[in-house]
Amino acid sequence: MGTIGEYIKSAIASIKNNKGRSFLTMLGIIIGIAAVLTILVIGDGLKAEASGQMSSLETTTIDISIDLSKTDKCFTPANMDAIEQSMNCIYGLSPQITLYGTGKGRKATYSIYLTGGSDVLSHSGSNKILYGRYFTRDDVEASNNVCVISETAAINLFGYVNAIGETIEITSEDMTSEFTVVGVRENTSLDKSYATQVDDKPVLTGDIPYTAAAQAYNYDVNSLFTDVKAYLHEDNKDIAMSKMKSVVENVTGLRGEDAVKVTASYGMDESTKNILSVVTIVIALIASISLIVGGIGVMNIMIVSVTERTREIGIRKSLGARTSSILVQFLAEAAILTFTGGVFGIVLGLFFAKMLCTGIGFTFIVNPILVIIVVGISISVGLFFGIYPANRASKLNPIDALRSE
Amino acid sequence: MKKLVEIKDVCKIYNPGENEVRALNHVNLTIGENEFVAIIGQSGSGKSTLMNMIGCLDIPTSGKYYLHGKDVSHMSDDEQSDIRNEEIGFIFQGFNLIQSLTAMENVELPLIYRGIGKRERDRLAEVALNSVGLEKRKNHRPNEMSGGQQQRVAIARAIAQAPPILLADEPTGNLDSSSSKEIIKIIKRLYREGRTVIVITHDSGIAKQAKRIITISDGEIQSDIINPDYKED
Ligand SMILES: Nc1ncnc2c1ncn2[C@@H]1O[C@H](COP(=O)(O)OP(=O)(O)OP(=O)(O)O)[C@@H](O)[C@H]1O
Ligand SMILES: [Mg+2]
Repeated sequence: MGTIGEYIKSAIASIKNNKGRSFLTMLGIIIGIAAVLTILVIGDGLKAEASGQMSSLETTTIDISIDLSKTDKCFTPANMDAIEQSMNCIYGLSPQITLYGTGKGRKATYSIYLTGGSDVLSHSGSNKILYGRYFTRDDVEASNNVCVISETAAINLFGYVNAIGETIEITSEDMTSEFTVVGVRENTSLDKSYATQVDDKPVLTGDIPYTAAAQAYNYDVNSLFTDVKAYLHEDNKDIAMSKMKSVVENVTGLRGEDAVKVTASYGMDESTKNILSVVTIVIALIASISLIVGGIGVMNIMIVSVTERTREIGIRKSLGARTSSILVQFLAEAAILTFTGGVFGIVLGLFFAKMLCTGIGFTFIVNPILVIIVVGISISVGLFFGIYPANRASKLNPIDALRSE
Repeated sequence: MKKLVEIKDVCKIYNPGENEVRALNHVNLTIGENEFVAIIGQSGSGKSTLMNMIGCLDIPTSGKYYLHGKDVSHMSDDEQSDIRNEEIGFIFQGFNLIQSLTAMENVELPLIYRGIGKRERDRLAEVALNSVGLEKRKNHRPNEMSGGQQQRVAIARAIAQAPPILLADEPTGNLDSSSSKEIIKIIKRLYREGRTVIVITHDSGIAKQAKRIITISDGEIQSDIINPDYKED
């Protein structure tokens, strides 16, 4: 192994002896590696961005709707209960009703957008409860005027995050009602997109029991809902999908009337992620063409180098260098060139990726494994394109090589 | 006297067929241990071809070559490399130093291929360079040295290898007369230290200092004599 160290040393020496040319050779690799890395890092950023935007939909849901043109039946608290009883593989059902108006807190008044649903609405996003609790089934059944609001809402309305126990006065058209804060949750992407909606002020968000929302508007919950969402456990969504329609038809008494429609809505699932990965890989492959061009540049320079150093190879052989010694020396030279180029390329690539990510607004994520792989690729390019010239060098006949000038 | 080099009925033919060149034509030659041989002959007579053969840089078209009793006429490239590394020290007319390496590094080169560690290499190279009077030029590159100095580096390289055979092809061909004298002095010393030295030369002055003189012409050995004028000094 000690001898391999010597060959590597002589490879480094010869690279140093030809600094200008070595740099030009590396340039191809630098550009290639930088391009590939930039694209892969931006691809990762894109994936993170896309899954972030869809995180509120992460739980798989089933939309169930009753066609009003075929029947006048609709979802009621009673039949929703019954459906949940027969479908123990789901978290539960939630209708949706929105309460939009102005919310007055102790500190200030803002536009507010409250989503009315059942307690299973807590499964709709990945955002966590920071203080207090989500509202419960009891709150729903008792039409309690309680609410869970976002971090931003708490800060804006009350001036602090832990706003449990505070009251918000909601005014919508001609009705006014008060809601007690029982929980504060993390912001969702909705909060981000609502950040500067009305007069540069944010629209605040929160969740309330649908019964309380209906009560505020004076609606009857027994004749209000033709659409509900079922929230599913990730594990048994297939079972749920297959059973849902018949269970709903049985419970509502709509069997055979073709009035119940069931559609699954998936969040950012594996197939979406896969598509993004494929897109990234395809672009990276296109970028890697420049890597191939760079590799051919390495090969070209190595051939010139072998030709120029024919006499040196002859001398080495006359002194006892074996075929493999010469081969290793020239391969090492090619691999070191591309490795060094790769390192510069990584620095440059990360720089560009950082700039572009900042520009587009993606998070700049660098996967260390990616960097290791890219280094591996750059060395392999050197070895692959170095083989032909190195082999040519090692096979030179020592007498002919010594005679050359 | 033990046989070191034994060449039996060797032919070397270049470009076999139409305009073939018989560089060596049925050559028989035996050289023992600790001999001092000069090979002379006209340009194109086959001297270098013979030396390449003895030095295992080339294999004969026909015939046999035994080195230390071992048949080396049909060896693979790598086997030939190993033999050169262990048995042969070359001194060429054009010095054949690697320009990008210092004197030390050039001298260490064959030792690297022998797998000797850095420390021992440094020691051997230093001893060898000292013995040719180049202790002050260790870290100089060939283009920073005179022809005579470069040739002494090449000799030091051969000395460091400690081979039984030293092959010199026109070692003074590129040198002025005072450098030549110095080189010849060193070569004679190496002979006295027990090596077999084979010198190819045009210079009858040099040939006359050898113990045995072989003359070849047109690829054949014309005469092979003990030098009547040889003087120990
Ligand atoms: N590779 C080769 N291909 C063809 N012919 C060759 C080759 N090498 C040598 N020869 C021929 O073989 C003959 C012997 O050449 P060689 O080099 O041995 O001569 P030499 O005695 O060393 O001459 P000089 O004193 O000029 O160096 C010459 O006629 C030469 O042209
Ligand atoms: Mg010659």
